[in-house]
Amino acid sequence: MAQKSWMYAVLEAVQYEMREDPEMTWIFELTPPVASNPGMPVINLETEFGRKRVCNTGIDEYWMAATVLGAGLAGSKSATYIPYQGALMPFELIQNYAGKMRHMTGGKASMPVVWIIEMTGQTPGFAGQHSCYEEDSYYMHIPGVRTVIPSTPYDAKGMMHAALRSPDPVVYLYPAGLRTLVEEVPDEPYEVPLDKAAVRQEGSDLTIVSSGGGMPEVLKAAETLTAEGMSVEVIDLRALKEMDTETLVNSVAKTKRLLTVDQSYYTLSPGAEVIARVATNVEGAKYKRVAWPDAPPPASPEMFLWMRPNADGIVGAARDLV
Amino acid sequence: MDWNTKSAAPAPDEDDVPASESRRGFLQIAALTGAVLSTSGRSAFANGDIGYHAKDLPDEKLVEMYRTILRIRWHERTQADQMLGNPDYRGYNHFYAGQEAVATGVCAALRNEGPYKQIDLVYSTHRPSGHAIAKGVDIPKMVAEDDFRATGLNGGYAAEMHLSDPSVGFVGADGMIGPGHVTATGSAFAFRARGSDQVSVVFGGDGTYATPQFHSALNNAKLLDLPFIYVLENNLYHQYAHYTYSCPHKDIADAATAYGIPARVVDGQDVFQVYNAAKEAVDRARAGGGPTFIEAKTYRYYNHWGAPGAKEGELGAFGYDPLAITSFRPEREVRAWMQRDPVDICRDTLVDWGVLDDAGAAEIEEEVKAEIAAAFEWGLSQPLCNPEDGLKHVFAEGTVPARQFG
Repeated sequence: MAQKSWMYAVLEAVQYEMREDPEMTWIFELTPPVASNPGMPVINLETEFGRKRVCNTGIDEYWMAATVLGAGLAGSKSATYIPYQGALMPFELIQNYAGKMRHMTGGKASMPVVWIIEMTGQTPGFAGQHSCYEEDSYYMHIPGVRTVIPSTPYDAKGMMHAALRSPDPVVYLYPAGLRTLVEEVPDEPYEVPLDKAAVRQEGSDLTIVSSGGGMPEVLKAAETLTAEGMSVEVIDLRALKEMDTETLVNSVAKTKRLLTVDQSYYTLSPGAEVIARVATNVEGAKYKRVAWPDAPPPASPEMFLWMRPNADGIVGAARDLV
Repeated sequence: MDWNTKSAAPAPDEDDVPASESRRGFLQIAALTGAVLSTSGRSAFANGDIGYHAKDLPDEKLVEMYRTILRIRWHERTQADQMLGNPDYRGYNHFYAGQEAVATGVCAALRNEGPYKQIDLVYSTHRPSGHAIAKGVDIPKMVAEDDFRATGLNGGYAAEMHLSDPSVGFVGADGMIGPGHVTATGSAFAFRARGSDQVSVVFGGDGTYATPQFHSALNNAKLLDLPFIYVLENNLYHQYAHYTYSCPHKDIADAATAYGIPARVVDGQDVFQVYNAAKEAVDRARAGGGPTFIEAKTYRYYNHWGAPGAKEGELGAFGYDPLAITSFRPEREVRAWMQRDPVDICRDTLVDWGVLDDAGAAEIEEEVKAEIAAAFEWGLSQPLCNPEDGLKHVFAEGTVPARQFG
C-alpha cells in the first residue's frame, strides 16, 4: 500500500497481468507505457517486455484498435492506449465489428481486449479537435462492449485488472484531467467490478450522479452543500455500459431529487440515460441536468471556463432542486 | 465564417512571366529531355531532373520569399520568447522554425490573392503558423488568435491548431493527423468538376504516412487525376518518435510512386528547390495532369510542442524534453541541421545571384523584426473573449442553450 498516481496504479495492473500472461500484448503511440512513483520502481512496459509484445506504432488508431481485437480473436489478451487526438478514429471498428461480433457469431467469438481511450483537453487552450467532450456518450451506446470510466486511482487499477480479465471487449475511458490524483492504492492485484456504480457519499435530500472527469467538481460541490446543511448522496457511475440501474433507482427512491452532472455534451450525455432509467422506475421525483452545452469546446479560457460545468454551477442547480 | 475574399484578383499566373534573363537557362535544357513519370501537360523531364524555375522569378518575388521566411522565423522566435519570458502570455505553438523554406517555397508557387473561387487552397497541420504566414494570413490577427483574443483571426475559438483564413485560401490548420488530407482531395475534386484551374495543397508531416487517410488521399487523387499536391514535410519526428517507427521507407515519396503519382524528394532547407518542385506540381495540376507528391527533407528546431529546452532570445531547443519520456532528439542532430539554415541558404543564394547584398538583406531582416514586434504588440493588446460567445457559431444562425448551470 502506498500513495500512487493514476498512471502508476494502472500500469501496475497491466504489468502484473503481462507478467502472468506471457502472450499479452500492448500497443501505443505517443504515450509510452512508463510511470514512476516516489519510492517505487519505475514501470516501463516497453523495456520490461520488449518490442515484440509492447509496440510503439505510427499514428493509426484504427490499426491499434483492430490489432488488439485481432490478437484477442487469436486467443491472446491485448490492450492499447489510444491518446486523445485519436479517441474516435477507431469507433467503427469497435462499434460495428467488435460490438456485434459475439452476438452475430452466436456467442462463439471471445474478445479479451481493452481499448484505453483517453479523454483530454477538458482544460482551456486546446479546443476543438483536441478537446474530448463526447467519447463517453458514443462508446456507451454500443451493445456488446463494456464501457467504463473510473474516477480514482484505486478504481483505475481495480477496473484495469477486471477489464484485462474480462472475456468481453472493454472500452476503458481515461479522463486525463484526473492524472494528477494521488491516493492509497494496494500493491497487490484486486478487481473493481465493471458493472457497479459507487456511492461516494450518502445522503437523503438529493442524489447527484456523475462520472469520470465530472467527479472532482461534484465532490467539491457536495462539500459546499453538506456544509450548508443539505444531505447529499453522490454516485459515481464508473460503469456506463452496463449501467448500474439498481443503485441509481434505490438512491432516488430515497431522495426523490436527482441532479446529473456530465463533462460531456448535453444531448445524450450519460446523465440523460441516468434520468431516463430513474424516471421509469421512481414515482414523483424531480430532475435537473448540468452538462457541457451542445457546442464544441472553444480555445479561449474565458469562453471555455464559463461553459465547463463547475462546482458553482452544480451547487446552484442543487439549490434550485431542493 | 466569411468565405468571401478580401482583395481583388491579380492576373493569374503572374509568376509565369520570365523577368530575369540573366538567371534563366542553365537547367532549362533539362526540361526538354527525357520521359516524365506521369502526364504533365506542359513539359517533360527525365526522372530526377527538375526545372530551375526559381531562376525565372522577378527580383521582387525572390525578395518577397526571403521576407516570408524571415517573417515565419521571427514570428516563431518571438512567440517562443513570449512563452518563455512573459508570464501573462497564454498562447502556445507547435513551432515551425527550421521548416520555413517548405511553406514559403510551396506557397510562392500558388495563387494566394483573388476571388475565393480562383485562389489555391491550402490544408495545413497542427504545426500551421509557417503555412499560414506563407499563404498570406494576417500576422497580427494570427498572433491575437494564438493568445485567445476576441479580435483574433478566428475570434478566440481556434487558437494555434485550428487557425483558418479562407480569404487567402488557408482552409485551416488541422489538429488531427489524417482527416485534412482526404478532405483536401475533396476540394480538388470540386475544382475538377467545376472546370476550375485551382489547386488543392495539403501539408503533412512524416507521421501522416501511417494513417489510412494518407493512402486514401493518394489513391483517390490518382484515380481521378485530381489537381492535388501532397507536400510531405519529413522533419524526421512524428510527435516524439522517429519516423522509422511508422514508415518502412527511407523516402516516403516512394509510397506515392507506388500509387502512380509523380513524386519529388527535395531539400526542404532550400526555398528555391522547394519552389522548383512546387512550380512543376502546380503547372501539372493546372494543366489537368493530376496530382503530385513532394517530400521535403527538413527539420524542426524546437521540440514537438511548445518551448521545452529553449532559452529566451536563443533559436532552437536542445536536450531532454520531459514530454518525450523515452525518446528525444540528440542535441548534435539539432545542431547539425541548424548548420543548413533555411534563412541563411535563401539569403546567401540571393546575394550570390546579385538580387540582394548583405546590407540589403540585413535591412530587410530589421524591417521584418519590427513588423513582427508590432504584430505581437497589437495582438497582445486585443480584448479578451466574452464568455457567452462560446454558445455562438455552432450553426450558421443563433446560439445554443447554456447547459452548465442546470
